[in-house]
Amino acid sequence: MNYDPDKVWPSGLTIGEAEELHRHIIDGTRVFGFIAVLAHILAYVYTPWFG
Amino acid sequence: MNNAKMWLVVKPTVGVPLFLTAVAVGSFAVHVSVLRNTTWLPQFLSGGAAMEQAALSPSAVVPTGGNATVVFDGVQQVGTSQQAVVVLPDGRTARVVFDAPAVIDGTKTALLQ
Repeated sequence: MNYDPDKVWPSGLTIGEAEELHRHIIDGTRVFGFIAVLAHILAYVYTPWFG
Repeated sequence: MNNAKMWLVVKPTVGVPLFLTAVAVGSFAVHVSVLRNTTWLPQFLSGGAAMEQAALSPSAVVPTGGNATVVFDGVQQVGTSQQAVVVLPDGRTARVVFDAPAVIDGTKTALLQ
């Protein structure tokens, strides 16, 4: 395996790859959060939650 | 984005599934605890409102003889007070909340003189 000075161990990703992956993780978390907020609004409106 | 360097330490093939599983398990646990600790969610999921209407079809409980009927339909407020529905001779209904802690069986109807 040719030696790549940019790879960082123990995971072996480069910093650029790590940041790219993390951007997707953050975006996914935001989508999850948005869906959760929507679900709570629907629950508040359509169920006896909070009277 | 200051946590991005975690992926230099944690392999994504391990970290990503672990992260998603943790979110799923956490979300599942919250749903279970809400289902266990509230009265409204189990009733809502089992069609509480529909059951309440069905159990209360006016023809079934409209009192004769000009008195009101109280139906303890088992719908209970969170905490101790119990709810019931008063059915007037003309078929109109009203929901009442009893302060007395004693819980009366939800299916009986008591005729008010």
